[in-house]
Amino acid sequence: MLKIDNLSVRYGHVEALRDISLEVKEHEIVTLIGSNGAGKTTTLMAISSLAAKDGGRIEFAGTDITNLSPEKVVHLGLAHVPEGRRIFPSLTVYENLLMGTLGNKKLTKAQITELVDTQFALFPRLSERCSQVGGSLSGGEQQMLAVARGLMMNPQMVMLDEPSLGLAPIIVEEIFELILKIRAMGKTVLLIEQNASMALSIADRGYVIANGRVLLSGTGDDLLNNEDVKKAYLGV
Amino acid sequence: MQYIVDQLINGICQGAIYALMAIGYSVVAGITGMVTFTHGEVMMIGAFAAYYSFLLAGNNIFLGLLFYFGASWLLGVAVYKICYEKFLNSPRHISLICTVGFSMVVKNLAQICFGANRKPMLNIIDNRVFTLGPVTINLLQIVILTVVVVLAVLLSLYMSKTRGGIALRAVSQEKTAAYMVGINVKRTAMIGNCIGCGIGGVAGMLMAIYYQTCYATMGSMLSMKAFSSSILGGMTDTRLSALGGLCIGIIENFGISFSSASFRDAFAFCFLILVLIIRPQGFAVKKGARP
Repeated sequence: MLKIDNLSVRYGHVEALRDISLEVKEHEIVTLIGSNGAGKTTTLMAISSLAAKDGGRIEFAGTDITNLSPEKVVHLGLAHVPEGRRIFPSLTVYENLLMGTLGNKKLTKAQITELVDTQFALFPRLSERCSQVGGSLSGGEQQMLAVARGLMMNPQMVMLDEPSLGLAPIIVEEIFELILKIRAMGKTVLLIEQNASMALSIADRGYVIANGRVLLSGTGDDLLNNEDVKKAYLGV
Repeated sequence: MQYIVDQLINGICQGAIYALMAIGYSVVAGITGMVTFTHGEVMMIGAFAAYYSFLLAGNNIFLGLLFYFGASWLLGVAVYKICYEKFLNSPRHISLICTVGFSMVVKNLAQICFGANRKPMLNIIDNRVFTLGPVTINLLQIVILTVVVVLAVLLSLYMSKTRGGIALRAVSQEKTAAYMVGINVKRTAMIGNCIGCGIGGVAGMLMAIYYQTCYATMGSMLSMKAFSSSILGGMTDTRLSALGGLCIGIIENFGISFSSASFRDAFAFCFLILVLIIRPQGFAVKKGARP
């Protein structure tokens, strides 16, 4: 579904990504793990055309998206839930959700109502706070809102950037259960996590990224049992 | 007593025009995230568009309204393309300086094209006076108040009820996230900038009609008033900016009625300074903000 060939990104003189190649197949959960500054977020930003590419090619659902503008990438059905939530702080929860639908021009009014109901079923907390402004929600609720906003365009694939960042352990578990639910809805998931053990335990496949390169790749279980990964990322 | 009521009505009327300028200003500042110094020139162009439309097409205020809205809209597109689009991710001072330069170019071009003299605005509204108890108000003032209120209500409905309006607010709050939900940020920001400029243009033409004069350098003082009003309202909040404009208008008119008309601007800016000393954030209350 998503195929990246030899992607490189630089910020000025700093080389952030170098010849990254990875692939996400339909209905998979794929996770990128790695330490801070490894280039995980940059990879997602490059996929969304929000970071300038230095070389390489990205293909999504059979379309070359290497040089598309950011909004066109979204219109193809690729939702990006950004790191640090980035909800719209003075829009209400409902308005935030409504903004999520702008990425899919084909949605009808009835479908939008249905999608809102779906999100409220997934996140009952959001329905309680429907008319509250986004900025007044707690961190966990904001993260739920960010994920729900991404799902509102009924995407084919969702990219989640550190959805568990700064959340209490019990909410982190909820978020991971949610990722499995999203996959069950027939969507593909590309997940970035610092919490490597949890990410690998739900992922079909994983890539380990360090210093802007792909170090290792394999199925979630393989990586969980890999000695190097254990030492470097799982703290065993 | 009669005198005070008259001054109050004058002040409200003047303040309503300032409010409209400030609304336009805060829409622009909110959407682009940057301070603009071309707003005065946008208003000046609006006033001249009105002047020529009355001169050429007769006293049709609705035809005129369309005409100046269009002229300021086009200028808005130009400002956006030249001053903002290339610099959306650059440090803010670059586009700020760019708007200063652009405003000088427009001002001087206007002096070349329209002449440096003051132009008398045609009297397009009958000078009829209505009396309601202690209140006397003329038709022109009623027209101005109506135009301001109608535009403000339309804008507020657009911003809160339509998807396009909510997208404008989304872009003004969080540009990266706006890209990620599939909003065409550049086009949305341009439309927002143009709406702000269009509103500014209408304010400029109301100003010209009220004082029955327009001239190429009228923009500089107007832009300072618009800037002050929206600072009072906390820069990006249209409602509070409108309140700020109204306050400045009323203070000015009471000020000059107890002293001399040449102190008009002094009263406006002293009021601004006083308010900012007491409440540096203006009238705005930050609610729902979370780091």
